[in-house]
This record gives sequence, C-alpha cells and structure tokens, in this order.
Amino acid sequence: MTTQEKQPPETFVRFSPLQRLLHVAVMIGFTGLAITGFSLKFSDQWWAGGFAWLVGGAGHLAYLHRFFAVITYGCVLVHILWLFYFKLVLKGSITGPQSLFPKVQDIKDMFQHMGYFFGKRRIPRFNRFTYWEKFDYLALFLGMNTMGLTGLFLWFPEFFSTLLPGYFINLAQVLHLYEAILAVALKFVVHILTTHLRPEIFPVDKSIFNGKTTREKMMHEHPGELDSL
Amino acid sequence: MRNERQHHKNRNNMGKRLMGQFIKGILFLSICSASLLTFFIWSAEANQTNPMMPPLLEGKARDCLECHRYPNVETNAGAFASQVFCLECHQKDSCTKTVHKEKVSLKIDPEDIRKGRHAFVGCIQCHTDVARSPHQSKEGAQCLSCHPFHNGAGEIHAPHLRVRCQACHTVSKFVYLDKESNEVRPAHTNDKKMPIGLTDHALQDTDRADFCQRCHTQENKVGAADIILPSKSFICIMCHDVSLTMGGPVFWVAFILLVIGILATVHFWFQGSVQGEEKSMHRKIGFVSESIWGTIFSSDFFTILKTILLDVILQRRLLQESVKRWFIHSLIFLPILFRFLLSVFTFFVSRIGPESSLAVILIDKNSGFMAFVNDLCGILILLGIVLAALQRFIIKPPHVIAEAKDNLALLLIGLLVFLGFLAEGARILMTQLPPEAGLYSFIGYPLSGFLSLTTIQWTAVYPYIWWAHAVVGAIFVAYLPFGKMRHMFNTPLTLLLNYKMK
Repeated sequence: MTTQEKQPPETFVRFSPLQRLLHVAVMIGFTGLAITGFSLKFSDQWWAGGFAWLVGGAGHLAYLHRFFAVITYGCVLVHILWLFYFKLVLKGSITGPQSLFPKVQDIKDMFQHMGYFFGKRRIPRFNRFTYWEKFDYLALFLGMNTMGLTGLFLWFPEFFSTLLPGYFINLAQVLHLYEAILAVALKFVVHILTTHLRPEIFPVDKSIFNGKTTREKMMHEHPGELDSL
Repeated sequence: MRNERQHHKNRNNMGKRLMGQFIKGILFLSICSASLLTFFIWSAEANQTNPMMPPLLEGKARDCLECHRYPNVETNAGAFASQVFCLECHQKDSCTKTVHKEKVSLKIDPEDIRKGRHAFVGCIQCHTDVARSPHQSKEGAQCLSCHPFHNGAGEIHAPHLRVRCQACHTVSKFVYLDKESNEVRPAHTNDKKMPIGLTDHALQDTDRADFCQRCHTQENKVGAADIILPSKSFICIMCHDVSLTMGGPVFWVAFILLVIGILATVHFWFQGSVQGEEKSMHRKIGFVSESIWGTIFSSDFFTILKTILLDVILQRRLLQESVKRWFIHSLIFLPILFRFLLSVFTFFVSRIGPESSLAVILIDKNSGFMAFVNDLCGILILLGIVLAALQRFIIKPPHVIAEAKDNLALLLIGLLVFLGFLAEGARILMTQLPPEAGLYSFIGYPLSGFLSLTTIQWTAVYPYIWWAHAVVGAIFVAYLPFGKMRHMFNTPLTLLLNYKMK
C-alpha cells in the first residue's frame, strides 16, 4: 500500500443476521430460563425469593420459565430449519471442514493446542470454527434438545405418562435439574471465558453481535478459513 | 483584622451549631412522631382483634377442643381430620336447613368426597367462612383461592366474570341472577320451587358442553344470549382482549387472507433490486437483513426512534400539510393504536398473572377503566369518521379527492365502531348491568336506556349484532393488506427508508 491514507480494515462476514438474531434470542431465553428455573429449584435461598418477588410469585416464575423455554426452543427449531435450507437450497456442506461438524482433526488440534500452551508445539491452523467453539455449539444444540424433551415431560406429565412408565417423570425431574446446572456452568463460565477472555480478543469479542471480523483477526484465529477463501 | 477573623470564625461556628441543633431537633421530632404513630397503629390493631368466641358462649364451660381444633390442612392427615370434623354432622340425614320455608338437605355422602377431585382438600379450605360460631356460610366455596380463572385461558371467562364458578361446574342445573351481588349463582330451588340440596358436591363434567344451555337458552332469566357465541377470535386483538383461539371459520378466512396479503406485499417489495442484486432472493434478503441489523445496532437507532415518534405516531408531516387533515387522521389513528397496544398489554398480563387484579380489570368490559377507555376510543374514532365524511361529501374542498378505496376503508371502520356500540348497548341492557357499574360506559349505557324503550327481546337479537360486528371486523382485518389500510404498513416503511436514503 503506497498511499498513507487510513483505509477501513477489510472485513469478512462471520455470522449472518439470522445467526446473530438467534444468538441474541437464545442469550435472552437461556438467561431467563436459568434465572427462573434456579429460583424455582432453590426456592429456599434468599436470592430466589428476590426473583420470585420481582415477577410476582412462584406461579409467574413457572409461567416465565415456560415462556423463555418456548423462545429458546423456537430458536433451535429455526436453526434446524435453516440447516435444511442451507443443505438443500443453498447446497452448502454441513459436514465440511468449514462447518461446525466435529472431526478427528479437532482432537488433533486440541492436543496440538495443549502442546502450544506448554511451549512444545506451534499453534494449530484453525478452520472457521475451532474445537472449543464446536464443543460449545454441540453442547448447546444437543443439550437444548434433551432439556426440551425432559422439560416437556414435566410440562405435560399427564400426557407423557400415558405413553411411558410413570418413573420417566421422576427421571425427567432429575435429568432436567442436573443438565441445567451443567449447561449453566458451561455457558456462563466456559463459553464466556473462552470467547471474551482470550488474550488476543480481551476484553470483548463483538463478532457475534456485529457479525464482522477483520483480516487481521482471521489471520490470528482462523488461518485455515482465510486460506480457503 | 484579627477581630474580624475571629468574628467570622464565631459566625461559622454558630452556623454549624445551629445546623446541628436543627438536625437534632428534626431527629427528635421524627422519633417522637414515629413512636406515636407506632403506638396508634398498635392500639388500632389491638382493638381490631375480634373476639373469636361469640358472647353467648363466654363464661360457660366448654371443651376448647370441641371447637378449637385447627388441623394443618396442608397435610393429607390434616385435610382428613378437617373433613371428619365437618362430617360428624353433615353425613346425617337430619342435617337440614330451612330456606323459604322449605327444608334443604345439607347431607354429604363421604364416599362422594373420596371419589371426587377434592378428596385431599379440607372442607374449610374452600368454605372459608363456616368454621365459626354462627355456623353459616355467606360467601360459599372460594374456588378462586386455589384455581385461577380457567388457568389463564381467556376463552371463556371474560364474558363470564359475573358468573359464579358453581353455576357451571356443579351438577345442579338451576341458576338465577342475584341482583344484590350482581352475579349469576346456582339456585336454591328448582323450576317447580322445590329446594335443591345445597351440598351437591358432585362436579360437572365440563367436557360435555350442555351446561352452557343452563343460561344460553331462549327466554332465559339471567340475561344471557340465546345462542352460545364463540369466544373472541385472536384477530380481534386490534381492539379487544383476546385468547389464542380462532373462534370460527369466518375468522380463519380473514386471518389467512391477512397472512397471504402480508406475504404478497413483502414479496412485491422484494421484486425490485436490492443493492444491485437482481435475481437471488436469498442474497436480497441477506442484504436487507444486514442493513436492518446494522441500523438497529448503531447510533442511527435513536434517530429512527425519533422518526417513529414524530412522523409515524404524531404524524408531523401531515400536521405541516394541513391541521384539519391531521386532526381527522389522528382522531381515527391514535385511538386505534392506543386500543391495540392496550390489547397486546392485556394479552400478556392475563397470561402471566390471570388471577392478578390488574388482569381482571383489563379483561372485564364492565370495569370502570375499561368501559370508559373503550367508549372514549370508540367515540373519538366515530367523530373522526364523521368529520372525514363531511369533508368528502358535504364540504368537498377542491384538494380532497374522495376515492372509492378510501371511502370503503372509512365505511368499514365506522360501521365496525357503530356496531360495537350497538352490541355494547344491547349487552348492557340484556345483562341488566346496575347503573353504578354501567355509569362508566358513557355511550353504551345511555344507548342501552334508549334501546330499552323498544319491546325487542334483546337476548335473541344480541347474537346477530355480535355476529354483524364480528363479520365486519373480520372483513376489516382481511382487507388490511389489500385496500387503503395498506398504508399502515407502507407509509412508516417509506418514511424510514426515506430517512435511510438521506
């Protein structure tokens, strides 16, 4: 570049508007689910009483829990529809190297990354999605389906106990709670830390909100994808 | 100099001292008044503790536990103990009371309770006012202390807020309109003036719909419509609180036409090129959504908010053009917008907290606030329509062109509101709403007085008025994306796009 004029940095679209919208909706829905659900489960705690008071009682907490569940699972459904659209209409690949589909390469990447942390090996050349991003995505995608299923058992126990033995309701109660704790721990600790608290991106990664990433960032984070463009 | 400084210091000190005294005084006064207030409240509370024992029993030898058993009715054991206590008398044949010189049986078969839905509920949990010395119930069973109005499903309860739960849910099929409490209640006597056992605890199987015919028959005495009308359709959300039901094929047709019309309009918008893209719909939608996203999450957002407030809601451009046109347009537009926003608010409130008093007020057409708001919105819209008609057909200024499309839109809205008022008047008349409740319907109530001069059987006519209003409403909704009312979507969009172009 011969001119010294400051050019706006070259940007790439990393997330489409639909993906950004779904992320914001799931963010709101998931946080709402966590707050209302835990306030119901740990209702003897002082903070649970506070949230219950805020919305006007346990009944309203339960209503809002279902409301947020519908929002969150609606996003999962829209996402599944989009996957079909992507595969059938846009003829995209949902298992290719630039997709979120888990591959053997991801495990290799992970070991190489660990080696890099201890100064033994070079940083792996990540593709569009790194192994921890794929893990985050799959954990939520599969988790939301199992949470949705156990949640439906608890929402309509009369209906499901006509199809299944009654102890499935008890199973659903246990699984719904423990998976909720797992999901909340994963999302609010691991997901937020691995996205925002990496040294190269600290303090905040805005690409899921504005959908954009720069060439420089691509070179650092997803060199494999940059090569394939 | 020194003196002056000393003086100044003294003055400062004095100011500080005064301020300190002032604060101390305020503190002292507030402590005094707080303790006085506490004392008054305490003494008032102390006076309020009613003697639980009736004066008759005081001083007499009584086994405390004979009356004062208070089992924990939250447990099954407690609920059974409570039932046993009541059934001590109430399972005997001799348990009767006299109403209108007729003996009414108060006998309860314990087996019925065992089999019923309320087997694990203590009697006094619903009959909250019977466990006392003058042993009689004024309130009846309190269903609503446990059950919300139909679990929040608004299909049925909005028109039935003046109907006691028991009127539909118990097997006895005789009901009457109690003028005193202004409620439809289960009757004490049947059509042959024979008393009915008041303790008929068997609950009606509400899957069978025939209990509606207790009231909704020809020449009923409780002021119900002759025909069972469907619940308000979801498309009525434009002006009414609604439930998530469609109500009938008419509304389905209207709704499908509305959706088709909106889709066709959006499809039409995407016919043109978007940022140079001519063919691929996928890329066009992508460009548009990217642009919308970029605008919302930027500083332009506040400018757009301003545009929406000034140009869309307050109609600034129309005001600049002509005050008269702005006035007429606002008379029609603002009440519709307000009523629509209120319906959306009501929809969510009545789902989140169906038992809350706010939800009940918002749903109840006879509550003072809603009656007043509905009538006010209606009369403003009607005034706007009349002024627009005057402008178009009588005054006819040269710049006003009365297009057939516009006239149809105005006619539809006017007819809708007029039929709405007629239905309101007929409803107030036939349900025999007392004046103190009807007062707030400042159009509907006088109209009902006017209608009462006729000799028409309004319970028979009301369904036709209701259907006329509903069908005009359905036509209005179906017509939205096709005719003149399309400008409700187009104009704000054009304004926003114009802004974006700038």
